[in-house]
Amino acid sequence: MTTILRTVNLTKRFPGVIANEDVNFDLQKGEIHCLFGENGAGKSTLSSCLFGFYQPEGGSLELNGEPVKFRSPRDAIHAGIGMVHQHFVLVPDFTVLENIVVGTHEHGWQLGLDEARKRVASLCREYEIDLEPDALVRDLAVGQQQWVEILKALYLGAKVLILDEPSAVLTPEESIRLFRIISHMKELGLSIILISHKMVEVMQSDRVTVLRKGKVVGTVCPDEVTPKELTRMMVGRDIELRVVRDRSNKEAAKEPVLVVGGLSYRDTRDNLMLDQVTLTIGRGEILGLAGVSGNGQKELFEVLSGIIVPGSGNVTLAGERIEGLPSRHYMDRGVGLVPDDRFREGLIPEFGIQENMILGWQRHDDYTQGPFLNHKQIGTIAEGLIDEFRIKAPSADTPVNHLSGGNAQKVILAREFVHSNKLLLANQPTRGLDLGVIEYVYKQIIAKRDEGYAVLLASEELEDLLNLSDRIAVISGGRITGVVDPENTSIEEIGLLMAGERKEAAE
Amino acid sequence: MTSIERDTPAPRPVTRIRIEPRVNRKPLWTFAMYLAATLFGLLLSALLVWTSGADVIKAFSALLNGAFGSQKAIIASLAKATPLILTGLATVVAFRAQVWSIGQEGQVYAGAMGAYTGYLLFAGLPPALFVSAIVLCGIIGGAVLGALAAILKDRFDVNEIISTVMMNYLIVFLLSWLIGGGPWTEVSTSVVYQQTGPIGEAAHLPALMGSGKLHLGFAFALVSALVCYVVLEKTPLGYEIRALGYNPVALAYRGTNIGRTIILVMILSGAVAGLAGVSEIFGTAHRLRSDTLFNLGYTGIIIGMIGGLRPLGTVAAGIVFGGLSSGALYMKLLAQVPASLVPAMEGILMLTFLCAGVAARYKIVRVKTDG
Repeated sequence: MTTILRTVNLTKRFPGVIANEDVNFDLQKGEIHCLFGENGAGKSTLSSCLFGFYQPEGGSLELNGEPVKFRSPRDAIHAGIGMVHQHFVLVPDFTVLENIVVGTHEHGWQLGLDEARKRVASLCREYEIDLEPDALVRDLAVGQQQWVEILKALYLGAKVLILDEPSAVLTPEESIRLFRIISHMKELGLSIILISHKMVEVMQSDRVTVLRKGKVVGTVCPDEVTPKELTRMMVGRDIELRVVRDRSNKEAAKEPVLVVGGLSYRDTRDNLMLDQVTLTIGRGEILGLAGVSGNGQKELFEVLSGIIVPGSGNVTLAGERIEGLPSRHYMDRGVGLVPDDRFREGLIPEFGIQENMILGWQRHDDYTQGPFLNHKQIGTIAEGLIDEFRIKAPSADTPVNHLSGGNAQKVILAREFVHSNKLLLANQPTRGLDLGVIEYVYKQIIAKRDEGYAVLLASEELEDLLNLSDRIAVISGGRITGVVDPENTSIEEIGLLMAGERKEAAE
Repeated sequence: MTSIERDTPAPRPVTRIRIEPRVNRKPLWTFAMYLAATLFGLLLSALLVWTSGADVIKAFSALLNGAFGSQKAIIASLAKATPLILTGLATVVAFRAQVWSIGQEGQVYAGAMGAYTGYLLFAGLPPALFVSAIVLCGIIGGAVLGALAAILKDRFDVNEIISTVMMNYLIVFLLSWLIGGGPWTEVSTSVVYQQTGPIGEAAHLPALMGSGKLHLGFAFALVSALVCYVVLEKTPLGYEIRALGYNPVALAYRGTNIGRTIILVMILSGAVAGLAGVSEIFGTAHRLRSDTLFNLGYTGIIIGMIGGLRPLGTVAAGIVFGGLSSGALYMKLLAQVPASLVPAMEGILMLTFLCAGVAARYKIVRVKTDG
């Protein structure tokens, strides 16, 4: 094996933060090397330094044993490094071929599409990527769009490919195909840096470098460690989500809290976003909602919290029909909502923590005195919640846009828990949070379930859903394609349902 | 960070400049910024006066004397400030909710017209009741016009900037017809002057402090400022108004009816602007004419912005600008400075104040990177 890319004591600082400190990392020819760590551990900073987007302050970068300096991504591309970002940089109305050629300037002012077509075709054959060069990118599935990004990098002559959380937007099926392509590329001698926080993917790589707080904790081979050991390296302590796994009281769960029947919803552009959705959630039960994002989850949560009005169907909460009523009525009847876009939908970013704690309840008797807000009372209650939910903030007045994602999410949880009593709707409550906070959020949700709440929990992390849910409903294209028991269902089966294959005789 | 930024080839990095919000804002710093803005604005104004060929020192001392040099001058300045404070407050209420109403101008006219309708309808009531009814009608006039724009926005998604600007024209031309040949036209003269006849003394807003110039309208302005402050900072409605301005999505997600809040905002904003119209016509001009009301609403937008969209800041800005416009006359007489320089100076001061507002909220940091 030969070392293709290496960093020696690489250090990158941002004002007030050391994003990478003395990072020593090496990439061998023909290996898949995973960068593993929590959000903010320095994975993205390191890859941005490798791709020339950031310039490190200290340490050096070596390519094939020669010291190099990348002043911009252009330098890195010239040196044979390609990067596929988590969010694609494609022009939807261009064809695959046009997207690959755009910006390459190979033929000066001319596009040179004919020659490009031959090269793209041969790349597709070589790497076994099945793409129609003349298809419009907007007609492609997300997984195929990712292949276009990969082809783009290969077309530019990449020998090293950096993939930033490549499976975040994919169905399990698409991930599997992606990994098939990646391992084939590896066999053909390409080197791959894979940024991930998913254990399944980590275990498929040749070596793993674990980062924590900007430093390298260690580089290991996945066959030599257990997932548990890797998690401990990443977090610095043991985290066990399964400990909290303790199924709900089946008897209580028979008492339905939320009954949804035949719910359909068309958006303003007349797309059918929800198609005959039927669900029941019982008292003290967590119903997991699995699906690739954008398949109607958001609309379902918005209907169930009264933010949008369904075209047809009914919603019954504790025996009362409430479809079509405004969100106020849902809140008054004990429905709490943790929206997936927390700063846009759940918080007023410029407001302080205490003002956010009463968002939606600003007219409630507890927080008012005559016609005025009772700031003293609000402050006292907010401080109690800040302690209870271990929110780290200088004071109750601190604007929430100064808080980390985890602490901001805790503000929402505190508010929604305090003001609801029957149903908790949690859409992606742990997205973008650190493992420690994820564990905390799940524990809180389970505590609410044990208090007797009905919980609807959507997550892109299937493992988590399998661990936490009493039943899992799978949504695809706005339809519920199946409701399964997590005890005896595999991720693969759920993956098929997510891809739209309907389970016969569901429920 | 978007991927587009990542792909942009970084220029050869030496020192980059970034603008970051200040986390802990110190009141002293904010004060210093506004002081600097005032001085810099005056310096630029002095240059302007100098280019017009006048004696700068003489001009400024005339301006200052005319504005605040004597009790009489102060009273005249406060009288000039009265409608500006009110239209400024109307701006504060709307803009804090990020409802971009430019309708203060029309609402001033609507307030004046509402009040004049009340004057015609309720003639004969006992004086105190009569004046109260007139004021109330004025408030309603402004509020109705404001609510109209809000309803258009809520029901038909009509952009409030466009609807309010268009309604400004409508209302001005409506008044022009009413007093230029229509039913309210002054009848005693053979020439049409675009005005109503004089308003009877029973309907005048009573004078404050014995002098004729300062009237009840100034008290209305101060009370309105206090009410706006209390509503914005201390009540659930104010909470909703501020939240609407920062993030309407989250506010709607958590059960607040946004359409209703926008309507309330525009009613409040229109009512305060309407009061400016009442105050000018029944406190100062004592007959309804178009040119007395002209531009009060648009100036109010500037006043509200300079006041930092805060009620008390708006009172201060209103008084300063009232002083400027009242002192401008002296400056013109004593230093032969064209009076039209005063609006230019107002413009300069607005720019420097807006810069001070940004300087108080943000800081410039230099980020050093080596290649």
